[in-house]
Amino acid sequence: MTERRTSVPNDAAQLAVLTEFLQEFWSAGSLPSAHAMTFELALEEVFMNVVMHGSPPGLAVQVDLSLVLADGGVTMTVEDTGPAFDPLTLATPDVEASIDDRPTGGLGVFLVREMMDTVSYQRIAGRNQLQMTKRIDS
Amino acid sequence: MKVRLETVSLTTLVIPEGRLDFGAAAEFQKHVEEAIARAGRAPAAVIVDCAALEYVSSAGLRVFLMAARTAKPAGVLFAVCALQPSVREVFDISGFSRIIEVHADRAVALAYTPPPA
Repeated sequence: MTERRTSVPNDAAQLAVLTEFLQEFWSAGSLPSAHAMTFELALEEVFMNVVMHGSPPGLAVQVDLSLVLADGGVTMTVEDTGPAFDPLTLATPDVEASIDDRPTGGLGVFLVREMMDTVSYQRIAGRNQLQMTKRIDS
Repeated sequence: MKVRLETVSLTTLVIPEGRLDFGAAAEFQKHVEEAIARAGRAPAAVIVDCAALEYVSSAGLRVFLMAARTAKPAGVLFAVCALQPSVREVFDISGFSRIIEVHADRAVALAYTPPPA
Protein backbone atom coordinates (compact mmCIF):
# COMPACT_ATOMS: atom_id res chain seq x y z
CA MET A 1 0.00 0.00 0.00
CA THR A 2 1.18 3.49 -0.86
CA GLU A 3 -0.26 6.55 0.78
CA ARG A 4 0.50 10.20 0.21
CA ARG A 5 -1.05 13.19 1.93
CA THR A 6 -0.98 16.93 1.49
CA SER A 7 -2.85 19.91 2.88
CA VAL A 8 -3.77 23.30 1.39
CA PRO A 9 -5.91 26.35 2.27
CA ASN A 10 -9.30 26.74 0.55
CA ASP A 11 -7.99 29.01 -2.19
CA ALA A 12 -8.84 28.42 -5.87
CA ALA A 13 -5.18 28.97 -6.76
CA GLN A 14 -4.36 25.78 -4.81
CA LEU A 15 -6.14 23.65 -7.43
CA ALA A 16 -2.97 23.62 -9.54
CA VAL A 17 -0.92 22.52 -6.50
CA LEU A 18 -3.31 19.64 -5.74
CA THR A 19 -3.47 18.56 -9.39
CA GLU A 20 0.32 18.44 -9.58
CA PHE A 21 0.41 16.39 -6.37
CA LEU A 22 -2.05 13.92 -7.91
CA GLN A 23 -0.08 13.74 -11.17
CA GLU A 24 3.13 12.99 -9.24
CA PHE A 25 1.34 10.22 -7.35
CA TRP A 26 0.17 8.85 -10.68
CA SER A 27 3.58 8.81 -12.34
CA ALA A 28 5.37 7.54 -9.20
CA GLY A 29 3.00 4.54 -9.17
CA SER A 30 3.21 4.10 -12.98
CA LEU A 31 -0.59 4.16 -13.00
CA PRO A 32 -2.45 4.00 -16.33
CA SER A 33 -3.00 7.45 -17.79
CA ALA A 34 -6.48 6.44 -18.98
CA HIS A 35 -7.71 6.81 -15.39
CA ALA A 36 -5.77 9.95 -14.54
CA MET A 37 -8.42 12.32 -15.82
CA THR A 38 -11.15 10.68 -13.73
CA PHE A 39 -9.22 11.46 -10.56
CA GLU A 40 -8.10 14.91 -11.70
CA LEU A 41 -11.70 15.79 -12.51
CA ALA A 42 -13.02 14.45 -9.20
CA LEU A 43 -10.33 16.37 -7.33
CA GLU A 44 -11.20 19.61 -9.12
CA GLU A 45 -14.96 19.22 -8.62
CA VAL A 46 -14.71 18.34 -4.93
CA PHE A 47 -12.05 20.94 -4.10
CA MET A 48 -13.78 23.75 -6.00
CA ASN A 49 -17.05 22.88 -4.25
CA VAL A 50 -15.33 23.46 -0.91
CA VAL A 51 -13.76 26.71 -2.17
CA MET A 52 -16.95 28.10 -3.74
CA HIS A 53 -19.66 26.80 -1.44
CA GLY A 54 -18.11 25.33 1.69
CA SER A 55 -16.27 28.34 3.02
CA PRO A 56 -18.08 31.13 4.88
CA PRO A 57 -16.40 34.54 4.41
CA GLY A 58 -13.61 35.20 6.88
CA LEU A 59 -13.30 31.57 7.94
CA ALA A 60 -10.06 29.84 7.03
CA VAL A 61 -10.82 26.32 5.86
CA GLN A 62 -8.14 23.70 5.48
CA VAL A 63 -8.41 20.99 2.85
CA ASP A 64 -6.55 17.70 3.20
CA LEU A 65 -5.99 15.33 0.30
CA SER A 66 -5.03 11.69 0.76
CA LEU A 67 -4.26 9.23 -2.03
CA VAL A 68 -3.98 5.52 -1.37
CA LEU A 69 -2.99 2.84 -3.86
CA ALA A 70 -4.05 -0.60 -2.63
CA ASP A 71 -5.71 -3.79 -3.89
CA GLY A 72 -5.68 -2.67 -7.53
CA GLY A 73 -7.55 0.53 -6.81
CA VAL A 74 -6.98 4.12 -5.84
CA THR A 75 -8.82 5.76 -2.95
CA MET A 76 -8.86 9.53 -2.86
CA THR A 77 -10.05 11.23 0.32
CA VAL A 78 -10.75 14.94 0.57
CA GLU A 79 -11.37 16.39 4.02
CA ASP A 80 -12.19 19.96 4.96
CA THR A 81 -12.77 21.85 8.18
CA GLY A 82 -15.75 23.82 6.81
CA PRO A 83 -19.38 23.63 7.99
CA ALA A 84 -21.05 20.23 7.64
CA PHE A 85 -22.17 19.63 4.08
CA ASP A 86 -22.85 16.35 2.27
CA PRO A 87 -22.47 16.97 -1.48
CA LEU A 88 -24.10 13.60 -2.17
CA THR A 89 -27.44 15.09 -1.09
CA LEU A 90 -27.36 17.47 -4.09
CA ALA A 91 -30.08 16.81 -6.65
CA THR A 92 -29.02 14.85 -9.72
CA PRO A 93 -29.14 17.05 -12.82
CA ASP A 94 -31.53 15.98 -15.57
CA VAL A 95 -29.06 14.85 -18.25
CA GLU A 96 -31.96 14.31 -20.67
CA ALA A 97 -33.10 17.95 -20.50
CA SER A 98 -33.00 20.11 -23.62
CA ILE A 99 -30.31 22.71 -24.14
CA ASP A 100 -32.40 25.58 -22.82
CA ASP A 101 -33.63 23.69 -19.77
CA ARG A 102 -30.25 22.41 -18.67
CA PRO A 103 -29.15 24.08 -15.43
CA THR A 104 -25.53 25.18 -15.59
CA GLY A 105 -24.73 23.96 -12.09
CA GLY A 106 -24.89 20.66 -10.25
CA LEU A 107 -22.87 18.77 -12.83
CA GLY A 108 -19.62 18.40 -10.92
CA VAL A 109 -20.78 16.07 -8.17
CA PHE A 110 -22.85 14.12 -10.69
CA LEU A 111 -19.75 13.49 -12.85
CA VAL A 112 -17.79 12.33 -9.79
CA ARG A 113 -20.51 9.84 -8.81
CA GLU A 114 -20.77 8.48 -12.33
CA MET A 115 -17.03 8.14 -12.94
CA MET A 116 -15.95 6.68 -9.59
CA ASP A 117 -16.81 3.15 -8.42
CA THR A 118 -17.79 4.31 -4.93
CA VAL A 119 -18.26 7.71 -3.32
CA SER A 120 -19.10 8.15 0.35
CA TYR A 121 -19.49 11.07 2.74
CA GLN A 122 -18.91 11.20 6.48
CA ARG A 123 -18.84 13.98 9.03
CA ILE A 124 -16.03 13.07 11.41
CA ALA A 125 -14.69 15.15 14.29
CA GLY A 126 -15.88 18.44 12.84
CA ARG A 127 -14.62 17.65 9.34
CA ASN A 128 -16.30 16.79 6.05
CA GLN A 129 -14.79 13.67 4.54
CA LEU A 130 -15.49 12.60 1.00
CA GLN A 131 -13.96 9.29 -0.05
CA MET A 132 -13.80 8.12 -3.66
CA THR A 133 -12.53 4.79 -4.94
CA LYS A 134 -11.98 3.37 -8.39
CA ARG A 135 -10.39 0.14 -9.63
CA ILE A 136 -7.36 0.74 -11.77
CA ASP A 137 -6.64 -1.88 -14.41
CA SER A 138 -2.98 -1.83 -15.27
CA MET B 1 -4.46 26.68 -21.74
CA LYS B 2 -3.81 28.23 -25.13
CA VAL B 3 -6.63 29.19 -27.51
CA ARG B 4 -6.16 29.85 -31.24
CA LEU B 5 -8.72 31.07 -33.76
CA GLU B 6 -8.84 30.16 -37.44
CA THR B 7 -11.31 31.12 -40.14
CA VAL B 8 -12.46 28.86 -42.96
CA SER B 9 -14.91 30.75 -45.20
CA LEU B 10 -17.93 31.47 -42.93
CA THR B 11 -16.73 29.21 -40.14
CA THR B 12 -14.67 30.27 -37.15
CA LEU B 13 -12.62 27.51 -35.57
CA VAL B 14 -11.81 27.90 -31.88
CA ILE B 15 -8.86 25.67 -31.03
CA PRO B 16 -8.13 25.17 -27.31
CA GLU B 17 -4.92 23.42 -26.30
CA GLY B 18 -4.31 21.85 -22.90
CA ARG B 19 -6.57 21.78 -19.86
CA LEU B 20 -9.98 23.41 -19.62
CA ASP B 21 -10.34 23.55 -15.84
CA PHE B 22 -11.82 26.07 -13.43
CA GLY B 23 -8.83 28.37 -13.84
CA ALA B 24 -8.99 28.36 -17.65
CA ALA B 25 -12.77 28.53 -18.11
CA ALA B 26 -13.20 32.34 -17.98
CA GLU B 27 -10.60 33.03 -20.65
CA PHE B 28 -11.90 30.23 -22.88
CA GLN B 29 -15.42 31.63 -22.50
CA LYS B 30 -14.17 35.05 -23.65
CA HIS B 31 -12.67 33.55 -26.83
CA VAL B 32 -15.78 31.53 -27.64
CA GLU B 33 -18.15 34.45 -27.02
CA GLU B 34 -16.03 36.72 -29.22
CA ALA B 35 -16.04 34.12 -31.97
CA ILE B 36 -19.85 33.84 -31.83
CA ALA B 37 -20.30 37.62 -31.72
CA ARG B 38 -17.98 38.12 -34.68
CA ALA B 39 -19.48 35.25 -36.68
CA GLY B 40 -22.17 37.74 -37.62
CA ARG B 41 -25.21 36.96 -39.66
CA ALA B 42 -26.37 33.49 -40.53
CA PRO B 43 -25.30 31.32 -42.19
CA ALA B 44 -22.19 31.23 -40.07
CA ALA B 45 -20.66 28.64 -37.77
CA VAL B 46 -18.38 28.37 -34.77
CA ILE B 47 -16.63 25.04 -34.30
CA VAL B 48 -14.52 24.21 -31.26
CA ASP B 49 -11.80 21.84 -32.46
CA CYS B 50 -10.89 19.79 -29.37
CA ALA B 51 -8.09 17.70 -30.90
CA ALA B 52 -5.56 19.24 -28.48
CA LEU B 53 -7.95 19.52 -25.51
CA GLU B 54 -6.67 17.12 -22.86
CA TYR B 55 -9.05 17.75 -19.99
CA VAL B 56 -12.43 19.27 -19.27
CA SER B 57 -14.26 19.68 -15.94
CA SER B 58 -17.78 20.90 -15.17
CA ALA B 59 -16.44 24.48 -15.25
CA GLY B 60 -15.40 23.89 -18.86
CA LEU B 61 -18.63 22.10 -19.78
CA ARG B 62 -20.53 25.15 -18.60
CA VAL B 63 -18.77 27.27 -21.23
CA PHE B 64 -19.84 24.87 -24.00
CA LEU B 65 -23.44 25.00 -22.77
CA MET B 66 -23.49 28.80 -22.59
CA ALA B 67 -21.95 29.02 -26.06
CA ALA B 68 -24.51 26.70 -27.60
CA ARG B 69 -27.28 28.75 -25.97
CA THR B 70 -25.88 32.06 -27.22
CA ALA B 71 -25.30 30.78 -30.74
CA LYS B 72 -28.78 29.36 -31.29
CA PRO B 73 -30.87 32.59 -31.24
CA ALA B 74 -28.07 34.36 -33.16
CA GLY B 75 -28.50 31.85 -35.98
CA VAL B 76 -24.92 30.71 -35.61
CA LEU B 77 -24.29 26.99 -35.92
CA PHE B 78 -22.26 25.76 -32.93
CA ALA B 79 -20.48 22.43 -32.90
CA VAL B 80 -17.50 20.66 -31.38
CA CYS B 81 -15.20 18.12 -33.03
CA ALA B 82 -12.29 15.75 -32.48
CA LEU B 83 -12.91 14.99 -28.79
CA GLN B 84 -10.20 12.89 -27.14
CA PRO B 85 -11.59 9.76 -25.43
CA SER B 86 -11.42 11.17 -21.88
CA VAL B 87 -13.10 14.41 -22.94
CA ARG B 88 -15.68 12.45 -24.91
CA GLU B 89 -16.46 10.43 -21.78
CA VAL B 90 -17.28 13.63 -19.86
CA PHE B 91 -19.47 14.88 -22.73
CA ASP B 92 -21.31 11.54 -22.83
CA ILE B 93 -21.88 11.15 -19.08
CA SER B 94 -23.12 14.73 -18.71
CA GLY B 95 -25.52 14.29 -21.63
CA PHE B 96 -23.81 17.13 -23.50
CA SER B 97 -23.17 14.99 -26.58
CA ARG B 98 -26.94 14.91 -27.01
CA ILE B 99 -27.52 18.66 -26.76
CA ILE B 100 -24.36 19.87 -28.51
CA GLU B 101 -23.43 18.79 -32.03
CA VAL B 102 -20.33 16.55 -31.89
CA HIS B 103 -18.39 15.62 -35.03
CA ALA B 104 -15.61 13.07 -35.41
CA ASP B 105 -13.03 15.48 -36.77
CA ARG B 106 -12.55 18.90 -38.31
CA ALA B 107 -13.20 17.74 -41.88
CA VAL B 108 -16.56 16.23 -40.95
CA ALA B 109 -17.52 19.30 -38.91
CA LEU B 110 -16.64 21.62 -41.80
CA ALA B 111 -18.69 19.50 -44.19
CA TYR B 112 -21.76 20.28 -42.06
CA THR B 113 -21.17 24.03 -41.94
CA PRO B 114 -22.46 26.69 -44.37
CA PRO B 115 -20.94 26.83 -47.86
CA PRO B 116 -18.91 29.90 -48.92
CA ALA B 117 -21.10 32.87 -49.83
